Amino acid sequence: MKNYLIIFFLVSISVSPQTTSFDFYSPENIKKFADHLFCEADYLRAIEQYGLISKDCTTDFKVMLGYSLLNLYQESNEIFKSISEKSKFYSDAYLLSLKNSLLMKPASVSAQAIKSFDSIQLNSFNKLKTISMLFDDELSISKDKFISPFDENDINTVSLFYDMKTKPLYKSPALAGVMSAVIPGSGKMYVGEWGDGITAFLATGLLAFLAYDNFRADHTTRAWIFTGLGTFFYAGNIYGSIASAQIFNAKINFEFNEGLKLFLEQKNYFLPEYDFCK
Amino acid sequence: MQSKLLIFLLSVLFISSAFCQIEKLKWQKADILYEKQNHYNKRNYSFESDNAGEFVTKSLANAYWFFISDVDGDNCPFHPTCSAFLIQSIKETNIFQASLIFLDRFTRDMNLVKSQNQYPRVRTGYFYDPPGNYMLVKERIIYLPPVFIVESE
Repeated sequence: MKNYLIIFFLVSISVSPQTTSFDFYSPENIKKFADHLFCEADYLRAIEQYGLISKDCTTDFKVMLGYSLLNLYQESNEIFKSISEKSKFYSDAYLLSLKNSLLMKPASVSAQAIKSFDSIQLNSFNKLKTISMLFDDELSISKDKFISPFDENDINTVSLFYDMKTKPLYKSPALAGVMSAVIPGSGKMYVGEWGDGITAFLATGLLAFLAYDNFRADHTTRAWIFTGLGTFFYAGNIYGSIASAQIFNAKINFEFNEGLKLFLEQKNYFLPEYDFCK
Repeated sequence: MQSKLLIFLLSVLFISSAFCQIEKLKWQKADILYEKQNHYNKRNYSFESDNAGEFVTKSLANAYWFFISDVDGDNCPFHPTCSAFLIQSIKETNIFQASLIFLDRFTRDMNLVKSQNQYPRVRTGYFYDPPGNYMLVKERIIYLPPVFIVESE
């Protein structure tokens, strides 16, 4: 029994809480904890912890960056408004706000460069501003001028994007319609929908043949029914070819924009990497 | 000896209660539904229409649904189905344009070798093909890649 009492005593000691005079909630320790969470990519909790202590230019920018990394671009740009122009991170925050705006609404950047940019930041700004022009409907800049801010690694890709924007591989809806009017289904084939095109050709051709054959055999009622059906299918195919060309062009635009976003994502929107965790 | 036995029994009881199963549903029988879920909205068999043309078409569609489609089964590979597509097209355009849109859809439905890379799909596997893309209005076209799964309209 004595042994059990000893074990009970030892267990009681081990489960009793640790009590120390360590102040977990001092501003320094909260900041250390917030920094740790930020470096662990636990941005939401890090932002919460930063909110508990008095702000400085570094924590403000880290909160802004954290929101941006959480894809909360609106919140990130709200923090930017509170960052003073005298802050040492103002230029970085300015660039980050442009990235956030671009991610919220892809459109050309109309903002101007600021005086506090250093050469690297100015280079990033010029690249971002230039590449954002690709999101506009029209591109009114020469190719040489367009590719000038980019270095050798990116120049081929940027040049390709420029060509795709200025000479998109669109299909003409009018031509698709005319082609289907001449040869039913050929407009669909023109936009790459071969199966639909062949089906339209066979359906219209079959109805036309049935109409012709019935007229030839003096079955005028049946002949007119087939003529009507054939005409409907013929007209529907012309309409469908125009619509298909428009959808094809929408696909080209979609793929262009997605490709551009992917490229910008890979390049981190030409922004420098911020490493607060070294 | 008795005290040891008592402590042993208490320990066993304590351990069994501490690690008991707390998920009530874990080992229960699951009712699995083997029926294929209906991919389209519940059909509206009403004759409500804004104009005479829509009334005629709605009547024809109701008759088709009641006498043919409901009996024949769920065979249209598209969402919305061709008949629902026609009714939606009429609501959004006019009888003439809607007929052209429908005939194009019908031709695409007849295509036996529909490309898997042509349409996105809804969760139940049907091709998602809304009439809004065929109004010949560029701004209304919502292109979705074929890999996209449409959760809801």
